[in-house]
Amino acid sequence: MSDSPAPAIELRAVSRWYGNVVAVNDVSFEVGPGITGLLGPNGAGKSTILHMMAGLLRPSAGEVRILGQPAWRNPAIYRSVGLVPEREAVYGFLSGREFVELAARLHRLPDPARAAARAIDLVEMGSAASRPCGGYSKGMKQRIKIAAALVHDPQVLVLDEPFNGADPRQRLHLMDLFRSMAAEGRTILYSSHILEEVERIADTVLVIVAGRLAASGDYRSIRALMTDRPHTFIVRSSNDRALAARLLDEPAIHGLAFEDGRLEVRARELLAAARALPAAARAAGVTLYEVRPTDESLESVFSYLVRR
Amino acid sequence: MNFPVARLTARMLLGQRRTLLVVLLALLPVGIALLFRLAAPADADPERFTARTLLGGMLTGTILPLVSLVFATGAFGQDIEDGTAVYLLATPVPRRDIVVARVAVAWLAAAALLVPAALTAGAIAIQGGDPGIVAGFAAAIAAGSLVYTIVFTWLSIATSRALVAGLLYAFLWEGALSGLFSGIRFLSIRQYTAGIAGTFFDLPASVYQPRLDPLPALVLAAAVGAVFLLLAVRRLERWETGEAA
Repeated sequence: MSDSPAPAIELRAVSRWYGNVVAVNDVSFEVGPGITGLLGPNGAGKSTILHMMAGLLRPSAGEVRILGQPAWRNPAIYRSVGLVPEREAVYGFLSGREFVELAARLHRLPDPARAAARAIDLVEMGSAASRPCGGYSKGMKQRIKIAAALVHDPQVLVLDEPFNGADPRQRLHLMDLFRSMAAEGRTILYSSHILEEVERIADTVLVIVAGRLAASGDYRSIRALMTDRPHTFIVRSSNDRALAARLLDEPAIHGLAFEDGRLEVRARELLAAARALPAAARAAGVTLYEVRPTDESLESVFSYLVRR
Repeated sequence: MNFPVARLTARMLLGQRRTLLVVLLALLPVGIALLFRLAAPADADPERFTARTLLGGMLTGTILPLVSLVFATGAFGQDIEDGTAVYLLATPVPRRDIVVARVAVAWLAAAALLVPAALTAGAIAIQGGDPGIVAGFAAAIAAGSLVYTIVFTWLSIATSRALVAGLLYAFLWEGALSGLFSGIRFLSIRQYTAGIAGTFFDLPASVYQPRLDPLPALVLAAAVGAVFLLLAVRRLERWETGEAA
């Protein structure tokens, strides 16, 4: 038998369906201390996975464990877990301080007022803490929700799109806060559909597409997978045909076509194409007017990862 | 009882506009009693009016279920609908404690309105008749509001259409259909309430006669309250976010 401690978050062959619709399909992974980004386009199943981790949704199949304990129908896990839901709603009639103190009291903390004050300071909401939550901006609601999730100093923090509505300065502050918590050995898992956001904070990434785990691991290697894939560009130049003839000699280019009178260039990977196109234009004496990728949406990037 | 949950629930109820409407509704029997006292015909029977029309009819039959329904759905349905319930459910507080605290607050709110309304309206209308009628209905309304609150709390957790379902139960099932099928009295909180009230008085059938005897009414009320409380706890323990509840 292994003596290694249980992973902070563990999903084993987890699926979740609603009637005939499969929202999450046979997903397995483990998450340990540090910051892990759950990345995927809208509707990919990120929130469903987060809600199953938070014990608020029953897996249709498989098992979700938090610190070795089942997440579903086990309120005891919330002593170690903090959850920041995506939905904006808070108790509008409570002040920010009352809202965080309520969370402290529900966790039966010995000094709720002090714990709330500490959590409110962490998210820099001290100056607005006496105002009713109903009058907060989206970013303020987000921060007070984070304070409520942090009030009991959880070992595992689960955040669903936590930077929604936060301005750039608040975003940086929250990122610093999460980094310092991760450095203390806590597990932070947060969902996002924004690549750049994940890039700035996550050590590890789980990519979810259409309910399946498309990729997982170190952020840089996944980013490389996303970049080093076939790309298609629409190119507009002073002489498309001369440019096309020159591009035929470029090893990085593996396809050329004229679609509706426009030159379509297919390259094996992004950086090689970025070098080859201007070089070919210069060699052919052609001026480039426009180079436009056709498939840069997050969905197409993620779809590529799934196909791999 | 979990006091943070109870305090939160009380503030939720106090902050709702419909609470004001419910207060006005509870004052209605007092107004009717005053009218009766001032303008009733000389041959009117105060006991019959108080038992049959005012307390057994208007208050028990209409206002009691309405007030209980508004408070029960206000205590639970709203935060399930807007997603704020997650801030209670994602805590170590056992779901049983959440249900009990919410039922307790909704019941206390309903009873705090209805019992004084019954006592005041009854005292005004009875005019020297049997005071047991007023005491009986006041006690029975306190018990009936608890059973209604529990059942409507379960409805609030089980369905997003608790208000409509509650109205159908109170006015179609207990109102229209119970007149057609006498067996419905065994499945009617209104009849349990009337039966419990009957413990306190013994009136001729021409004045007022509950359809259930006190003992079966009491036993059925206790059984229905206990079963639906368990169902509500069980339902909340299995509640999933994103449900249509």
